[in-house]
Amino acid sequence: MFYKLVAKFLFLFLFFLVLSCSQKGDNSGGRSTITLVFKHGKIAGDPELFRQIIDRFEIENPGIKVKDEVLPASTDEQHQFYVLNLEGKSPEFDVLSMDVIWVPEFARARWIKDLSHLLTDVERSDFFPGPMQAVTYRGRVYAVPWYIDAGVLYYRKDLLRKYGFPPPKIWQELVTIAQSIIMREPDMYGFIWQGKQYEGLVCNVLEYFWSNGGDILEEEKLVLNSSENISALQFMRDLIVKYRVTPPLVITAIEEPTRHIFGNGKAVFMRNWPYALNIFEREGSAIKGKVGVSALPSFPGKESASTLGGWQLGINNNSRHPEEAERLIRFLTSPEVQKALALTVGYKPSRKSLYFDKDLIRVQPFLIQLHDIFMKVRSRPVTPYYMMITQVIQPEFSASLSGIKTPEEALNSAQRQIEHIFQVEK
Amino acid sequence: MNSREKGDKFIIPALIMLSCVTIYPVLYVFYLSLQRRLLIFDISRFVGFENYLFLFRDDRFWNALKNTAYFTVASVSLELFLGLSIAVLLNRPFRLRGLTRAVILVPWAIPTVVSARMWEWVYNTDFGILNFIIGSKINWLGSPFWAIHAAIFMDVWKTTPFVAILLMAGLQVIPHELYQAAKVDGAGSWTTFKRITLPLLKPVILVVLLFRTLDAFRVFDAVYVLTGGGPANTTETLSIYAYKVLFQTLQFGYGSTLSVVVFLCIGSISIFYIKLLSRGIK
Amino acid sequence: MTKRISFYLLLIIAILYCLCPLLWQFITSLKPDYELTRIPPILPEKPTVAHYISIFKGYPFSRIILNSTIVAASTTIFSLIVGSLCAFGLTKLKVRYKAIILGFVLSVSMFPPIATVSPLYIIIRSLGLRDTWWALIITYTTFSLPLSIWILTNFFKEIPDEIYLAARIDGCSPFQAFQKIILPLSGPGIFTTAILVFIFSWNEFLFALTFTSTPNSRTIPVAIALFQGIHEIPWGDIAAASVTVTVPLVILVFVFQRRIIEGLTAGAIKS
Repeated sequence: MFYKLVAKFLFLFLFFLVLSCSQKGDNSGGRSTITLVFKHGKIAGDPELFRQIIDRFEIENPGIKVKDEVLPASTDEQHQFYVLNLEGKSPEFDVLSMDVIWVPEFARARWIKDLSHLLTDVERSDFFPGPMQAVTYRGRVYAVPWYIDAGVLYYRKDLLRKYGFPPPKIWQELVTIAQSIIMREPDMYGFIWQGKQYEGLVCNVLEYFWSNGGDILEEEKLVLNSSENISALQFMRDLIVKYRVTPPLVITAIEEPTRHIFGNGKAVFMRNWPYALNIFEREGSAIKGKVGVSALPSFPGKESASTLGGWQLGINNNSRHPEEAERLIRFLTSPEVQKALALTVGYKPSRKSLYFDKDLIRVQPFLIQLHDIFMKVRSRPVTPYYMMITQVIQPEFSASLSGIKTPEEALNSAQRQIEHIFQVEK
Repeated sequence: MNSREKGDKFIIPALIMLSCVTIYPVLYVFYLSLQRRLLIFDISRFVGFENYLFLFRDDRFWNALKNTAYFTVASVSLELFLGLSIAVLLNRPFRLRGLTRAVILVPWAIPTVVSARMWEWVYNTDFGILNFIIGSKINWLGSPFWAIHAAIFMDVWKTTPFVAILLMAGLQVIPHELYQAAKVDGAGSWTTFKRITLPLLKPVILVVLLFRTLDAFRVFDAVYVLTGGGPANTTETLSIYAYKVLFQTLQFGYGSTLSVVVFLCIGSISIFYIKLLSRGIK
Repeated sequence: MTKRISFYLLLIIAILYCLCPLLWQFITSLKPDYELTRIPPILPEKPTVAHYISIFKGYPFSRIILNSTIVAASTTIFSLIVGSLCAFGLTKLKVRYKAIILGFVLSVSMFPPIATVSPLYIIIRSLGLRDTWWALIITYTTFSLPLSIWILTNFFKEIPDEIYLAARIDGCSPFQAFQKIILPLSGPGIFTTAILVFIFSWNEFLFALTFTSTPNSRTIPVAIALFQGIHEIPWGDIAAASVTVTVPLVILVFVFQRRIIEGLTAGAIKS
């Protein structure tokens, strides 16, 4: 009786095991067509629209089928997924979309293919310089920029006009404008941004560093605790405690909470990515038609800067169909597809020429302004060490914003820890 | 006792299953913990206990250990207190008892990732319902003091049902006669609880404590989604730190060392509980 | 009388404590996007079912629910079969190295899952089980076994040895005694374990994220994580989805609760 049950149990188990394996076999049976697997984060909006674009590729390239497999949009989860698969030398996907900060790391680990031959010099010059720099590691190109993202300043056009202010060019101007508007408008915040301990915090802080002439690395040399950086970080803390234009809630905020506050008409200024603009102009939005966008301010006499975001396409080094995968990348980063993506889901093209495209500008007139911002976009340190660096600086920045450490203490401590990390290769 | 038959064949399926699936991963983690392994720099070599020695110099590790210990002690004891109260409350007969029990389980039935997001919303300074109800403007997740307590409270809410339902099942097997006898002797309800319920419930309580401690000490996704370890690492638990080291910075060796440390901590806590448990049974 | 009132008062507090956040989710799921972040009012001014429509449109959400149900149900069944056999052997029969075995069983759940996910993934892939239900069922069964075995051991211990021995004297084999006497007597323990294991597999995220890649095998927590855009988090949709997946679970738990009460009356024989 007992053995019978166990035997039945085992049999059932094996039966399903075989069944599920044989199903796999059937799929790869046909040799005539090649199936490319394309992994990417969720595409905004209706999934059908992106499928139609893929369908077009399949029609243009008979014999190639594309299976697009969506990953959760959280970048941490995607990074984890790719690391597990690429480290395990998995050939199960061919084309992958990468956050801009992963490219040097994946390239250094030889997880992705060298794609330098894919882009001629002429073609390279069509892409924005920021993303081009971010996909280049030791002189070779490892990915093609797919779409671009950058930090921008949102402001309330209507309120600035009402009180007679132009959009601020200098951080101190922003403080003055915000202070005087929130004094007269009840129940409003001056300036909100993203301060939770996560990658977005680094993007925010770097914009202050850069716009004060600071940086993290200068020619491979670590300059994290420079006086420029210390005073920039101090300014961020001052926004909260001294000037009181930024509410303490930013210390936990990621993009969405700030977008909601601004979208409810509760803030004068906001730092965010361009995605929010499309949402603010939707039907039913409380601030439809009242939103302006400009480059982020800078400190006096310095250049404004915004942090590069966005996604790039690369090829798995263990891909069984690298040539077909290259064709897919060429197709997805072509001007036509980038334009289609900009029109349907609002992704910002990585090619400069599209920002002068008549059809696009008619629908999204703000693209012209974004072009100038994207030209000045800067990438976070392009080094395989970046993921280690960011793990050190996130808590230190957070400690300084929440007042646990002074900016100087935080940056000195981060500098020490990163110097230690740089010794790993030795 | 000696007259019993052998029961090996009954436990073999479980042992086979556990060994097949877990032995390789567990040994592999031990092996990695003795390695210096940075795949992106082609570094992979045996370093003995170097990673373990580095733990002593790693402030971030001690901070994470402290946070984890605090989180575990606070959440497990609160859960036990609330769970026991709910179990005792629901053990009396009343109408709609079945439905009420189902309702009590709801928090546990919501996927962790979702409930963390949900609480993030509840805790929101501006449009969170918590501040709205108590009429405050507290920055729950942004203040170094409140953030860890907000995480603890979320975990208590989420896992009290687990404690309550196990204790309820434990209460059901206590024979009714004992309570009646106590009543006849004129014992009050507190005395009955202390003299009859608690001692008889002790084995179940210890099992609950054991499994809750195992889970709380390894807490990861709930806190990770809620705070990401911030502000300033005040909510970074050992698992979160290990996750960041493993999957963000790709230091597989040191990340595995951290995991082994979690294993060792939990192991010693478990031995302590099991000692208590076996004493309770004798 | 005051005792009764305070009893019901406490009961109501307990229920509200458990239900409020879910209720809040439900209210949120009925709010149109632009009302999501306005408080007051608490209730939606213009309730909408748009979020419920959008989670079923364009995404095979019913398939996802099916995946989750099959994975969780199979895990529960396997875990109970294997776990109760083991617990029976450990409590009512002679087994050498009992303490070591129990310790080994428990040690499985002492490692943080994030550390074992990588080597497990390699096993799953080499077995060709990637993106199948089996990948999850095998993993979940294994990781829920410690809980099942420990809880069931505890409940089986409560059953007096005399009852088991009496059954053996009446001519039952150990397995028959297990099946006919021990199992029916430990109803509450078994159903409790079943519910705990079911919900554990229903909610697990990390392994599900790693082992699945298409809607063929994706489970609910992963699917919900997929709603999020690169920056945008469609809160209304997420709320609608979590309400949708919680309701069947509540019904299920309710159904099982009745069985537990039945199991209770069966258990009353023993005293």
